[in-house]
Amino acid sequence: MVSSPAPLPNSSAAPLSLRYMRISRHRRLAWIASAIGCGLSVLGLVLCWLNPAIASPLKPGLDFTGGTQIQLERRCQAGCGDLSVTELQKRLAGLSLPAEPGEVSPNLSSASVQVLDGGRSLLLRLPALSADQSTGLIDGIAPVTGELKTSGTSINTIGPTLGSRLLRGSVISLLVSFAAIAVYISFMYNGVFAFLALLCLAHDVLITCGVFAWLGLLQGVEVDSLFAVSLITVAGYSVTDTVVIYDRIREQRKLLADLPLIDQVDVAVDATLTRSLYTSLTTLLPLFGLLLFGGSSLFWFAVALIVGIAVGSWSSIGLAPTLLPVLSRR
Amino acid sequence: MARQQGWIAFILALAIASGALLATYGLQLGLDLRGGSQLTLQVMPAGAITKVETEQLEAVKDVLERRINGLGVAESTLQTVGSDQLVLQLPGEQNPGRAAKVLGSTALLEFKAQRPGTEKEMQGLLPLKRQAEAVLAAKQPQPTTTDTGLPAPPPKPKLAPEDLAKSLKALGLNVPEGSSETDQIELLLAEVNRRIVSLYGPTLLTGKDLTSAGRQQKATGNAWDVTLGFNREGGEKFATLTQSIAGTGRLLGIVLDGRSISEATVGDEFKAAGIAGGAASITGNFTADEARDLEVQLRGGSLPLPVKIVEVRTIGPSLGAENIRTSLLAALSGLALVGVFMVLVYRLPGVVSVLALSLYALYNLAIYALIPVTLTLPGIAGFILSVGMAVDANVLIFERVKEELRSGNTLIRSIDTGFARAFSSIFDGHITGLISCAALFFLGTGLVKGFAVTLAIGLLLSLFTALTCTRNLMRLLMSYPALRRPTYFVPAAQLPAPVS
Repeated sequence: MVSSPAPLPNSSAAPLSLRYMRISRHRRLAWIASAIGCGLSVLGLVLCWLNPAIASPLKPGLDFTGGTQIQLERRCQAGCGDLSVTELQKRLAGLSLPAEPGEVSPNLSSASVQVLDGGRSLLLRLPALSADQSTGLIDGIAPVTGELKTSGTSINTIGPTLGSRLLRGSVISLLVSFAAIAVYISFMYNGVFAFLALLCLAHDVLITCGVFAWLGLLQGVEVDSLFAVSLITVAGYSVTDTVVIYDRIREQRKLLADLPLIDQVDVAVDATLTRSLYTSLTTLLPLFGLLLFGGSSLFWFAVALIVGIAVGSWSSIGLAPTLLPVLSRR
Repeated sequence: MARQQGWIAFILALAIASGALLATYGLQLGLDLRGGSQLTLQVMPAGAITKVETEQLEAVKDVLERRINGLGVAESTLQTVGSDQLVLQLPGEQNPGRAAKVLGSTALLEFKAQRPGTEKEMQGLLPLKRQAEAVLAAKQPQPTTTDTGLPAPPPKPKLAPEDLAKSLKALGLNVPEGSSETDQIELLLAEVNRRIVSLYGPTLLTGKDLTSAGRQQKATGNAWDVTLGFNREGGEKFATLTQSIAGTGRLLGIVLDGRSISEATVGDEFKAAGIAGGAASITGNFTADEARDLEVQLRGGSLPLPVKIVEVRTIGPSLGAENIRTSLLAALSGLALVGVFMVLVYRLPGVVSVLALSLYALYNLAIYALIPVTLTLPGIAGFILSVGMAVDANVLIFERVKEELRSGNTLIRSIDTGFARAFSSIFDGHITGLISCAALFFLGTGLVKGFAVTLAIGLLLSLFTALTCTRNLMRLLMSYPALRRPTYFVPAAQLPAPVS
């Protein structure tokens, strides 16, 4: 049976002596773990930035760089594996597409070709093409790829300005929501609580970004607009998770008013520990479902959320409550 | 008791209403789930206007809507996004090229008269234009007519490379290295057109004065003409314009978006009154499709501001179907796991929460159908996440109930206290969530906005279901004495020894 922690006494006369877990005893360990996590993340982001092939803290995907991405599915019976990437690239470079009025034909020699599913589908990354040029290109490479399934084609063209707008919009809205949450928490609790909630939030977002910086460096994983959405979600989850513990600390401050804050915090964290773990677990379960069965389009989105929510639970247990007595001393 | 039966009736009524809503309206699926094309158009400031205002955006939208209706794509939607963008969705459309072309051009039609004294220059340019157009037209893919018994097509017109090079040089054009013949001819044509336009006087009549547009096939050949009908004022202007150049040999220029699409002579017989009657036709050697597209554009009117297509997304229907299949499988398997977890950990309350969460999911989907919220891939992900938040509320409540039981309270009292004590943390958590949703909704764009909507709906509903559904279902069950056993809530070992 999955069960809750060891039995607790039925009277609250001596609540502290029998607690099985006092978070503040392990606080140095918790701080060091978080510091290492943040340090590695910053290192990943900096390495990404210094890498000439990426030159930004995270490897930006099509949504942020602009361009055209074409996914094709081949209708092949037996010889699916015989597709030559170099031949396809040569074909692309020699292709002449209908020019848009007032613009020169795009240069296709910089195109990148990726073969997926053992040659069954293809992913092309190209400079931005118009709708006509995209269809012209698909017709143009048909001799090399063989027959294609039109129902399996996906073409995305994104202008470079759109990505920066999306990024700016998300960052501004994130900052404003942080500010609003800080005001709410300072009003309901106090300024130190609000500061620590935001600190945890920054910690969670930083580590999630750090993981993707490393993934970008080592695996070539790109961040897209879904990643921006996942960061926002992680931020929201992080605050919600922290606030629940704050609520318990506030309650303990009334119930155990004569004890020092550090003990009140320990009692509160202990009492909410089961809930925090269970909640993380029940949020993570559907995300693992998404990870395993959600297909390629949602895979990295699920990864970002799983990392962020796991880190978010950690910081709301190990970071915000343990720092609270330190900062509230004055 | 009576009050709580009222609640149960209310919850059931809501569930039935939700089911009915879902059955009648159904869920709106985004293009990533059903296949189709999505175009994002950016309205560009032009001339004296440096910032796009709401009225201008709406005016652009009106014109585009008329054009889309002219195109005849089923179920298309056009929405404004932010302050200066429009998103057009074309479900089922796999080839958005034509729509892009028809929507993307401003379609500003202008009628101009050639300036006196420019006849000689015009005479040099026109043959070059005709030749270039003929060569380009011959390069277009022709319908195959070999086996229909028709006579063989005439030999394709050609432009000798040295002639082309000479013409390009004469116009002062620099040919980019390695450009194809088609590119070079297009470059030539664009420059010739630009020069022709420069030979015209001011605009005397625009497409604003049009009342109708149509097309007709020429008596000979495959080419089409576009016919125009003017309103009274337009008809008068057109008469004055044609009168001024009748018999002079100067040309009437028809200019579309700054390109000269037709040059016509006006005969001596119109010297007296000009071409009256308020009708004209553009003879531009159009193909059937081009004539139709121009007709659609002219009928819709010209765009008050130019637009630029900044994003095109096309998804094939089988990819969309696969997206639905995989994300549904993912969602259902994840939720089933959560259900199993809740029942294992919380026993009887776990069953109650599974019931309450099923209702939650049902209500959520019904609201999506009602508003309506278009369900996209990130939308489904957002829904799965909001379920996570709803589960959290239940976990908070039942953990509290367990605590109360462990400290020796009676069952009914523990349940009541559990709900009461959990409330403040549930409330705080949901409020902070809603605060971020509000910020994301008002300041975010596109994807972010849609995500904020689904999450906000989820949070509000979760507050409702946790406090009404879970609570009243729990109370209903507790009205059966057989179920009033603390061991249905907590393992016996955790309960304090009974005080006897």
